[in-house]
Amino acid sequence: MKLFEVENLSYEIENFKLDNINFKVNQGEYFILLGQSGSGKTLLLESIAGFNNVTGKINFQGQDISEVVPEKRDIGFVYQDFALFPNLSVRDNITFSSKYKTIENPEQNLHDLADFLKLTSLLDRKIDKLSGGERQRVAIARALFSKPKILLLDEPLSAIDPTFRNSIMKFLKDIQRKYNLTIIHVTHNFREASYLADRIAIVMNGQIKQVGGVSEVLNNPKSIEVAKFLGFKNILPSSILLEDNDKMFSVDPNAIYISKNKLYKDYVFEGKLEESMGVLDHYKIFVKVGKEEFFAKILKRNYEGCYAHKGENIYIGFDKKDVSYI
Amino acid sequence: MKKNIFLYAMIALATIILLFLTVPLLNMIFGNDLKVLLDALKQKDVVGSIYLTMKVSFFGMLFVLITGLPLAYVIARYNFFGRSLIEALTDIPIMIPHTAAGIALLMIFGRGSISKGFEALGITFVDTEMGVMVAMMFLSSTFLINGAKEGFKKVDVKLEKVARTLGANPLQVFLRISIPNARKDIINGALMMWGRGLGEFGAVVMIAYHPMVAPVLIYDRFTSYGLSYSAPVATLMVILSIFVFLSVRFVNNRLK
Repeated sequence: MKLFEVENLSYEIENFKLDNINFKVNQGEYFILLGQSGSGKTLLLESIAGFNNVTGKINFQGQDISEVVPEKRDIGFVYQDFALFPNLSVRDNITFSSKYKTIENPEQNLHDLADFLKLTSLLDRKIDKLSGGERQRVAIARALFSKPKILLLDEPLSAIDPTFRNSIMKFLKDIQRKYNLTIIHVTHNFREASYLADRIAIVMNGQIKQVGGVSEVLNNPKSIEVAKFLGFKNILPSSILLEDNDKMFSVDPNAIYISKNKLYKDYVFEGKLEESMGVLDHYKIFVKVGKEEFFAKILKRNYEGCYAHKGENIYIGFDKKDVSYI
Repeated sequence: MKKNIFLYAMIALATIILLFLTVPLLNMIFGNDLKVLLDALKQKDVVGSIYLTMKVSFFGMLFVLITGLPLAYVIARYNFFGRSLIEALTDIPIMIPHTAAGIALLMIFGRGSISKGFEALGITFVDTEMGVMVAMMFLSSTFLINGAKEGFKKVDVKLEKVARTLGANPLQVFLRISIPNARKDIINGALMMWGRGLGEFGAVVMIAYHPMVAPVLIYDRFTSYGLSYSAPVATLMVILSIFVFLSVRFVNNRLK
């Protein structure tokens, strides 16, 4: 069921523009906005929360809320650095919203959240006495205490020690299930996105370039810039596969075989070895075929038998199943 | 060794200015006979003028808290045309001669239509506590405004935004988040303003010689009766100022 929809949203500041943004989020969905830093993700979240005078519509359960003030939107926000109130204790941070809006059973609500987020023993602490992980849990508890209809998370994992990231990702999934939350989460990290998201939108230069299911977006980029952003290599014209169209294709560097002798693969090319760089357990190999250059990653143990020197001719090959068209 | 010479030179120079700043005050405090000080405390006009000075400067500070905090907040938070001009305007009063400021105030509050307007409301400024207050405020509000401005700049705007998403309207955010998190700088600024007001003479004397605030009383006694008669009042004023100043600083540091 569609809960939330952004329609033709635009907003301009100094030398940056959110440009005609469109996407939908369903009830109970984990939606990820994936983009590099500076792509406008946080600005977009703040626009959804109501901090910018945007043009276009933000529909929430069928009603346009683009003119509604932030305090009436029922949208929870967790910033990257958590933005806890330093002048208040953990308890007063979490229950902040109860002073300004009606929260049912505030005591029970606090008790449940503190219990689930393991904050019970910290309730009377000062904010500056908390660790990074504890701060994050307080920020999430504070947002959830206010019973938001949608929760916005701005890079929630980037301020967290990398060793805890996996457990926090699992935890984010857990709170989503437990509270049947609709979440919009902003990140630049593909791993986070592929693990957490039900659906993903790719944000680049203030525009949404592609929206869809996780595997659809991560495996089938619609444009070359999205493919490049997602880390696709070997983006080359289909014509070299002898196909009669002007599309581009990409092939995973790990799926390319190389040999000094002729290979038996769906596509085989002879080319000149341009460079071979040994990195830990594999070689990064660049092979020039006509005007195009292929990049392959070959495990050292697979490469030993066919080791070639710079400038030598070598065969490369790959199968149809490893080709994705853009 | 070279390093030490540098350090010793720095300490020597620093000591000169420190002595310059402290010796006159210490001499004043410890050079007076305690009995003379206690005698001065028994004189009604002395106690009255010290109390008046503290009270009026305090009310001036309250007035600027109410009007100056919004100004400081707007300057700290919003980028608008003319902001630098407004910042410069709030700085001007600490740069002009105090007697000139007194003349300027006298021309607005002592005569003319604005003064008439206040008069209709029963408020007059020449030789009244109100006059003392406007003179003190005019020359010292900058300290509070600038202190608060720096304080508000240090409050992360994200705190205010999050508070909005949690249901607080802008005024509630200002009162519960912005002010409390900038309170250290606000209190320091307020203290500076209040302390500066206690010492105001040049402008006060222009607009209100009476009722006599402590600096005017000191001057009046000095010109009429000489040093020995004015020194105890000056000493009391210095001791009291230092005491209040240090205690508020102490409380403020504990607040953190």
